[in-house]
Amino acid sequence: MSTTTVGGPPRTGAGRAKRGHRALRSLQGVSFVLPNFLGFGLLTLGPVVALFYISFTNWNVFGTAKWIGLDNFTRLLKDASFHTALLNTLYYSAFHIPLTLAVSLALALLLNRKLRGVAFFRTAAFFPYITSIVAIAIAWNLLFSRDAGPVNQILGLFGVDDPPGWTASSDWAMPAVIIVGVWREMGYYMLLFLAGLQTVPPELHEAARIDGANAWQRFRNVTLPCLRPTTFFVTVMLTIGSFKVFDLILVMTNGGPGQSTLVLSQYIYQKGLVENRFGYASAISVVLFALCMLVTVVQFAVNRRRNA
Amino acid sequence: MRHRHPRWTAIAAAVTALTLTATACGADEPADSGGPVTLTMSAWSLKTTPEFQKLAEAFQAQNPEVKVEFKEYDAANYDTQLTADLAAGSAPDLYVLKNLKNFITYQSGEQLLDVSDVAGGLGNDVNGLGNYKVDGMTYAVPYRQDSWYLYYNKDLFTAAGVTPPSETWTWAEYEKASADLAAGLKAAGSPAKAAYQHTWQSTVQGLALAQTSGADLGSGDYGYLAPYYKRALEQQKAGAQVDYGTATTNTLQYQAQFGTQQAAMMLMGSWYVATLIAQQKKGDAQAFQWGFAPAPQADAGAKAKPVTFGDPTGIGINAAIDEGKVAAAKKFLTFAAGEGAASALASIGITPATLTEPVVKAYFGVEGVPGDELSKFAFTTHDTRAENPVSPQTAALQNILLETHSAIMSESTPVDDALRQAGERARSEVLESK
Repeated sequence: MSTTTVGGPPRTGAGRAKRGHRALRSLQGVSFVLPNFLGFGLLTLGPVVALFYISFTNWNVFGTAKWIGLDNFTRLLKDASFHTALLNTLYYSAFHIPLTLAVSLALALLLNRKLRGVAFFRTAAFFPYITSIVAIAIAWNLLFSRDAGPVNQILGLFGVDDPPGWTASSDWAMPAVIIVGVWREMGYYMLLFLAGLQTVPPELHEAARIDGANAWQRFRNVTLPCLRPTTFFVTVMLTIGSFKVFDLILVMTNGGPGQSTLVLSQYIYQKGLVENRFGYASAISVVLFALCMLVTVVQFAVNRRRNA
Repeated sequence: MRHRHPRWTAIAAAVTALTLTATACGADEPADSGGPVTLTMSAWSLKTTPEFQKLAEAFQAQNPEVKVEFKEYDAANYDTQLTADLAAGSAPDLYVLKNLKNFITYQSGEQLLDVSDVAGGLGNDVNGLGNYKVDGMTYAVPYRQDSWYLYYNKDLFTAAGVTPPSETWTWAEYEKASADLAAGLKAAGSPAKAAYQHTWQSTVQGLALAQTSGADLGSGDYGYLAPYYKRALEQQKAGAQVDYGTATTNTLQYQAQFGTQQAAMMLMGSWYVATLIAQQKKGDAQAFQWGFAPAPQADAGAKAKPVTFGDPTGIGINAAIDEGKVAAAKKFLTFAAGEGAASALASIGITPATLTEPVVKAYFGVEGVPGDELSKFAFTTHDTRAENPVSPQTAALQNILLETHSAIMSESTPVDDALRQAGERARSEVLESK
């Protein structure tokens, strides 16, 4: 609170009234955030705290939870499926984050100009983000169909004789999911970059242009540094989103073929809601939480050092 | 402080309203042993699944003092929602066990009342009852027992000039017919395939487990699946059926594949009889002659009962039921597994757990049900083994086998390698860590 008084409370009657007024005002402030905080506390914070406890038990929904210490975590070390899910999550993130970042930034730069119909193109780019994920999965699965899909037909036109099986092949299912993931989210991050681009002072570009900087130099030395706060925010959100990817994979490949697209979130879902092993599922959730936390903290640290 | 009173009044009103709502949720009708009793029962998709209403109506006609009310759940998330309700103590008095896979979760979680006395009073005609027995005690009774048949399109068989299936068809005969159908249909100018195999793991694994002697889901040895997978792969390589990749990427619906004559044969559960009749009536499926035969058998030795698979659908009593309602609930269970309910269910095309003469008559009296001898034989004569043998490990093992199924059918992993890996995973992830 920036309004805290220094040097002890005033003793006058006027001071008491002022203090009362201040308390009332802070009470009003609290009452405004209370509905949101109650919802957050009840539906997010409470379950998250419970999750940490459950991860040390063998709870299976019914009955009491038996404390088993670190058993769930030591089992994770030997669980080959968990290792596969972890590697697949890293595989997805390693491609999804930079690709989405690059494509959404490129789109934002493209649509930040005074073009005819720019509003239409911006809307079109944003459209995948608000489209039902199930519809997206069905449509892209059709596009990726091995024999009759348009994607492979186009590849055929370019002389690709043995096109990939996409979602029906264990080697190509993950690239297919990454492509759809990038396509789906690029519009949302484009919007954030567009907002960021509005804050780049035109004078800087003008000065650089007068100094003889070409378009690439202006982008490298003016646009990118000015966009750093936006890029940082987008990277953090993309990282967390990529680690948590679930719905797209569940409806598009259901983790298959085999375990080729099994990711951590789906593994949690399998163990928890399909097999009712909530203790074990909670332990995997804790690992996923720690992973997200670690990467985000590193990103914050790197960002702070850059800004220093 | 002019607004103080209205504000506090509003808060007080809100708190009162919340308290009232909360207490209303928890209020339960006191059970009166002598008077009328209201039983609540779980159900899903009431509008499109008439069996629950039919069951309740038939029961209430005989027991006017008991009223059955439904608590509707989402069909796709039924077990998740029911589990949450049971854990919260707000589940209905009677609940349907939609599949056998989750029965053990409810039973071992002490959420089911022992109904051995009800089971003891039922005759020997109730199929699938034994699945609900754990340590000598029965925890639920089945009211329907679906089995898998081979559906076939009589018109396409005639067009291709191929002899239709028989009571004793083996897999070798099936493969021969499939090749003949593929050639015959092509010659007749029909775009239909010989068969359609849906993407579910059941279509391969269910029959393999039921028909292979010594096959055990809980053994971690899945070699018994190999001949069934090799056959399925050969069929799709030969072009006799749509390949798995196409079926998954195009989200093919089995109802459309058989109902619009894209395939001459299809292995599917008995529930599809009622669906196909309804779709032909509405025009969602084309009009053609069809029937169903027993699933092809593994060996040629003529068996009195063709072996197939299918899980029963049962009803159990919530362990937290009010004591005053237990007698009425048990009465309902006795009725649901008996002939009265079976006839009522058969009259809407459902395959009930009890198959006596009047029940069979009621089933084949339904308009649209194929009345030929082979269909009657398939309906009445079969040895139906459980797809999901009751065990705490079944759900986890089936998950591993589901992933194995997609790896094999998409031709990502060779059959023997995939089955060996499945066995290793089963042992390390499930069987040795129980």
